Amino acid sequence: MNVTITFRNRTNPFIPIEAEMITPDAFLQDKEILVGEGNRTVPLEALADLVIEGDGFSIEEVDILIRGDSSRVKRVGEYMNGGTITIEGDIGMHCGNFMSGGRIEILGSAEGWLGREMQGGEILCHGDAGDYCASGYRGGRRGMRGGSVEVIGSVGDFACEHISGGEVLIHGNTGDYACAEMKGGTVTILGDSSRVCANMSAGTCYVYGSAEEMIPTFEKKGIVDHDGLLFHHFMGDVANRGRGHLYVARYTYLQ
Amino acid sequence: MEIRDVPCPFCGCLCDDISVRLDDNRILGVENCCTLGNAKFLSKGRLQHPIMRKNGKWVEVSYEEAIDETARILSDAVRPLLYGWSGTVGEAQVVGVHLGEEIGALIDSTTSVCHNPSILAIQEVGHPGCTLGQVKNRADLVIYWGCNPIEAHPRHMSRYTTYADGYFIDNTVTDRKVIVVDIRRSEGAKVADEFIQIKPGGDYLVLSALRAMVRGRDDVVPDSVAGVKKEQLQRVASLMQKAKFGAVFFGLGITMSRGKYKNVRNAIELVSELNRKTKFTISAMRGHFNVYGFNEVLTWMAGYPFAVDFSRGIAFYNPGETTVIDLLERKEPDACLVIASDPGAHFPKSTIEHMAAIPTVQIDPCVNATTALCQVQIPVAITGIEAAGTAYRMDGVPIRMKKIIETNFPTDQEILERIVTRIREMKRDG
Repeated sequence: MNVTITFRNRTNPFIPIEAEMITPDAFLQDKEILVGEGNRTVPLEALADLVIEGDGFSIEEVDILIRGDSSRVKRVGEYMNGGTITIEGDIGMHCGNFMSGGRIEILGSAEGWLGREMQGGEILCHGDAGDYCASGYRGGRRGMRGGSVEVIGSVGDFACEHISGGEVLIHGNTGDYACAEMKGGTVTILGDSSRVCANMSAGTCYVYGSAEEMIPTFEKKGIVDHDGLLFHHFMGDVANRGRGHLYVARYTYLQ
Repeated sequence: MEIRDVPCPFCGCLCDDISVRLDDNRILGVENCCTLGNAKFLSKGRLQHPIMRKNGKWVEVSYEEAIDETARILSDAVRPLLYGWSGTVGEAQVVGVHLGEEIGALIDSTTSVCHNPSILAIQEVGHPGCTLGQVKNRADLVIYWGCNPIEAHPRHMSRYTTYADGYFIDNTVTDRKVIVVDIRRSEGAKVADEFIQIKPGGDYLVLSALRAMVRGRDDVVPDSVAGVKKEQLQRVASLMQKAKFGAVFFGLGITMSRGKYKNVRNAIELVSELNRKTKFTISAMRGHFNVYGFNEVLTWMAGYPFAVDFSRGIAFYNPGETTVIDLLERKEPDACLVIASDPGAHFPKSTIEHMAAIPTVQIDPCVNATTALCQVQIPVAITGIEAAGTAYRMDGVPIRMKKIIETNFPTDQEILERIVTRIREMKRDG
């Protein structure tokens, strides 16, 4: 089953659209897709042209393509458990919330909370991702728990906050406090990062660029060879009785 | 005539020992008040009638017309925002939450731009707090971190800490130590026994270092952290552990600087660590006199303390997404109601530009910076002087605000109830 959703231009393009029903599972079950536009609930067709071609007998046979301006469309792929979603442009917040299977590919950039609390499946974002990429929810103790997220560009602040499982690969830089409260999983940052792994208790993080303003409570363990490169190996966060592993190519303290 | 024990409707200290002298329904003088509260009690000049912009000019209108127009604006909106709330009482805030639910609005308070990060941190790791009375009577070490009580909460030190007599403190001057942590030598720093000057944005790093030291892991801490020498940190960590009762007060210096809620979380976790060795508490220096009250009211009614989005018919909360600055920055609201605050004086330029571009209504006794952004302003009684109700002090203690002057102006609660009633009538009439 191939589903093509083309969002039309709107009179007020700033009003957010909440579209948690845009998942392969909902189309497979032939549900009426309702979305929220501000405080109104409307059928998806009121805001987008919808074309469905072919039949699907399992979730793996459902492929969704999203076109048009989807930069304010939130919660696409929430609780997704299989199939694929491809987004031609940018996507709004909470894309891939709680997903457990399937694949989301974003050809543009993603707003905040990409892959929040995801448990499985794959997300590939070709552009940048906003704050709280692969992280958790307010007050939550666990963020991303499984699956993989790859961002070709850079990410905002608090990336991978509370992460407790899965793999994240960020090709660009991160903002402040990447991997804060990290409890598990593996995060690789190919660019620079600042105040990385604050208060971590477990898990592994690699920073191939420079770790700026390192948290001053990590214990130096020596130099190690990883991937053919030399990294400073730290363990911590000691302030939190943490036993996480942080590997950085270069680092500075705010002294 | 003198009325005693009047609570002051200015800051979160809610000093309730104010004496007000009255003659012929006019305030002649105020005693025990600080400069800030004094200015509020004795303020002159207010808006006398509701006003509305017509053909680009302000015109006086009746309350009925102003309420009709407000109800129409809010009913037509797809993404209405209700903002402010911290300068009014719980009874009005309750009606505000009902209004938000009725129209599927996003409701947020000034918490969003002050102690929002404190609440996020508390939601992550809890709050080892206490009442101000406990601090006054027991604390032998007081730490002001990222706040300047002498200028922002002028009676805090004299009522609760440095200059206050405590039941279990023999000599408050000699037996009570004060530490001030700030990026500059503030007025508060001048009366401190120990002043820690941190490089801007370095609070988190210093807090981590202190946590490690309290755990006995000085070995991992570098010689200097964010401009503070390791020796001074060791001295402070020792002072903290030797205290019988320590009290940390923190302000926007850590909530609204780099790191935000992570700073507060780290401060709370430092206090938790200290509680393994002695008694320590931590409290936020709240600003508006009832900012804490709105957090209480919204939590009773919606489950969350601020920034609640009712647009989908349920309460959704996610600061960063549902907080007022983020919302306005993304140009989401298509109508706005402001009450009991003055965002026009404090918000970033881009956000108030959007408020000016959409229909904005203000409920406030006085003309202020937000008036310039509005289409409609409805004047009301001054809460805590002309209207009674419930407010919450910065430590969560509820205090009854008094009405000491008679007025013909309607209260916040009355205006909000009339707006809700009018919106329901409009819905019923289609």
